[in-house]
Amino acid sequence: MTLETFSGTFGLWMGAALTLCIFSFLYKDNPFYRFAEHLFVGVSAGYWLVYNYWNIVKPNLIDPLREEQWQYLLPLVLGIFMLTRLFPNVGWLSRWAIAFMIGSGSGIMIITYLQSNFLEQIKSTLVPLDPTGQPWYVVVNNVILLVGVVSGLVYFFFSKAHTGVTGRIARIGVVFLMVSFGASFGYTVMARISLLIGRLYFLLHKCVGVI
Amino acid sequence: MRRQVPLVICFVAGVLMLAQSFVPPLNWFYTNALAWARIISCIAVFIGLISLVRLHATKVRRRAADWKFSIITLLALLYMMLAGLLTRYGVFVKLHGQCVPGSMGDKIVTGFQNAFNFQDIFLNIQIPVQATMFSLLAFYIASAAFRAFRARTFEATLLLVAATIVMLGRVPVGHYIWGVPQATAWILDVPNTAAKRGIMIGIGLGMTSTALKIMLGIERTYLGIKD
Amino acid sequence: MSFAGARLLHISLCVLAGSLVLCGQALCQSAPPDTPPSPATDLVVKDTPDDDGGSVTLSWSLSADDKGGAKDVLSYEIRRSKSPDGPFTTIKKVLKGTSSTTDEKKVENNVDYYYQVVTKDASSETPSAVAGPVRAHVQWFNLGRLNTLLITILYTALLLYFISRAKKGEKLFVRRIAGLDALDEAVGCAPEMGKPALYVPGISTISDVATIASVNILSGVARTVADYDTRLIVPNFDPIVMTVAQEVVREGYMAAGKPEAYREEDVFYVTSSQFPFVAAVDGIMVRERPATNLFIGMFFAESLILAETGASTGAIQIAGTDAIAQLPFFIAACDYTLIGEELYAASAYLSRAPLLLGSLKGQDWMKMFLIGCIFIGLVTLNVGFAGFKSLFDLPLTIFR
Repeated sequence: MTLETFSGTFGLWMGAALTLCIFSFLYKDNPFYRFAEHLFVGVSAGYWLVYNYWNIVKPNLIDPLREEQWQYLLPLVLGIFMLTRLFPNVGWLSRWAIAFMIGSGSGIMIITYLQSNFLEQIKSTLVPLDPTGQPWYVVVNNVILLVGVVSGLVYFFFSKAHTGVTGRIARIGVVFLMVSFGASFGYTVMARISLLIGRLYFLLHKCVGVI
Repeated sequence: MRRQVPLVICFVAGVLMLAQSFVPPLNWFYTNALAWARIISCIAVFIGLISLVRLHATKVRRRAADWKFSIITLLALLYMMLAGLLTRYGVFVKLHGQCVPGSMGDKIVTGFQNAFNFQDIFLNIQIPVQATMFSLLAFYIASAAFRAFRARTFEATLLLVAATIVMLGRVPVGHYIWGVPQATAWILDVPNTAAKRGIMIGIGLGMTSTALKIMLGIERTYLGIKD
Repeated sequence: MSFAGARLLHISLCVLAGSLVLCGQALCQSAPPDTPPSPATDLVVKDTPDDDGGSVTLSWSLSADDKGGAKDVLSYEIRRSKSPDGPFTTIKKVLKGTSSTTDEKKVENNVDYYYQVVTKDASSETPSAVAGPVRAHVQWFNLGRLNTLLITILYTALLLYFISRAKKGEKLFVRRIAGLDALDEAVGCAPEMGKPALYVPGISTISDVATIASVNILSGVARTVADYDTRLIVPNFDPIVMTVAQEVVREGYMAAGKPEAYREEDVFYVTSSQFPFVAAVDGIMVRERPATNLFIGMFFAESLILAETGASTGAIQIAGTDAIAQLPFFIAACDYTLIGEELYAASAYLSRAPLLLGSLKGQDWMKMFLIGCIFIGLVTLNVGFAGFKSLFDLPLTIFR
């Protein structure tokens, strides 16, 4: 098939047909959905492999090694160790590569999260509560914010039973959590509906031309 | 050897990563470790590929349920691999003598080598199906709301009330209902911020504690070896 | 004069007059001679702090002609020399409105450099006064992260302390976590109904700690599943996570004394693209009809598609994630949800291993420390002392 036909009308109709195949899943599983699903998985896995090769392996491993940057031998060796997973006798070598990734990932996560989820959060919670020089409702909101943060933290206490005072504070924490989850839920609704409108527009405007 | 070496590698890599945050001359480890991890991941895609092919080939061989659809997966995979790898630039785009990565989604660039319709297949199969799967969320968000509505617990009610107010506050009609825009802003800025902060702090502590245990070898389930 | 001659004279005069008018207009329209823009002032150069050398930071006050783009300054050119008298070579260009930048272009450590910022418009330029000398140095400690280091040390010490106490046999209490209590019961449903259990370990990489937390839970689930002689399906998004999941599930079956029941083809790779992965897992849920669906790890927008499809099949569902944006959807569509830190507590909770339980106690003490910091901070802030709050600055500048 030539480039023009595939990228033109045929491609458009193929996209439309696959869109309908996926939508049909909302009714129930059916052969059309299965077709689209299996095609989708095959295409995406192939695309991912190709993308990785051209965008990461070639420029970041093959090219540097060709330029005799020997430090890239280490990821190559670890990568080959990873592949030993395919051979049961030497498969344990893959753990070396996995351990490297997990260790370095853990090290960086400790710093990143202690900064962003600990220090920064303390700083943001230090808000002025003095009513002089600011409207009363700002102070009230700051107090509510403080109550929400502390009660939320108490909810996540694991070594203390949620009974008595702790239980009551944790209960307040749950109220804050649920309101927050509701807010996120409501905030997302319109974004999701606009995605659907986008697909309907594709079908009705680009493919059928009725709107 | 099989158990100790990975634990030592994990510890050393973790300590180096921690140390580079405080000792600037060790910064090279950060840049290199990230690049190396990416390369290892990419090489590991080959293992995934073998798993995928084995799964579907077994289905076809055994004539298991839906084996005919497995042929579609295998053919699509094979075609994309051959088309993409045999094309000199694959998903690359040659612009001004410099290679930039091809599109993985919304940014479609032109002027590429499109042998075997590689990029067209991506644009006409993967992109529309991806967008449609994503758009299913419009239906699922409604059914999830209904599910929460049926739960009739105090927590579910709170969630729904907050969701309804914020949802109304985000659509034009909500701006004509007295108090809704203000309530939306207040919910988002005050209780929402407070709760998110509590969750974030908890996540930060839980994650760092797990990461420390991994580094110290206390948490080693991932190795699949029991003492 | 003939008629034709008079006419020719008339045309010539008109052309002459017209030319004079056009020339006059052209003269009036030509721009006045270009005046160079005012220079950038107060140029300050210093060694970039908290780095491994090879970098100099420059800051300056904008040219008086660079105000909201009203005048004609287009850019600033950074020039460098090893001598105050030049010659200066151009290092980089920054756009108008920029008043600071760093020079990282082959800066040698411990060598004197002099800088000049040249203000440029379309046709002329004005150099600033020369600033320097400045030397780039290697800093052996990142002072801006002193607070992070102290917190890391404190936290590590707390964790190790409670772990050592747990090691000595001290009994540590852990509160009930409903989602984890329900795990055994949920997995136990599958054999009763003659159906498999499904475990999705998120769509992130193995470097993500949330994935490791998920793998820890998978380990316990695999053992329970093996005890019940049930099939466990684990579709994977990442090939490395798949290899780890295979090891862990195999180990679970071995621990239950049923290594022969382990089927490697049930722990498989799907694809590393988000929505194709979801399409395939949706397919598994409606075709295999697992009695239990467990979505534990890092998830993105696909969370709701998975959870709602699973709910429509009537499966018992437990989710757990630290992706704050996805928590509302899991809460709405699943029977139980592990919220944030509960995901990380699961390993200790399920295994009841003293070493892991000790760390939970350490986490709680860290929360107490944080609440203490907030209260001290609020008191000091509201009596007009902001110094305490600045201890939490990132980067920390209080000691500079």
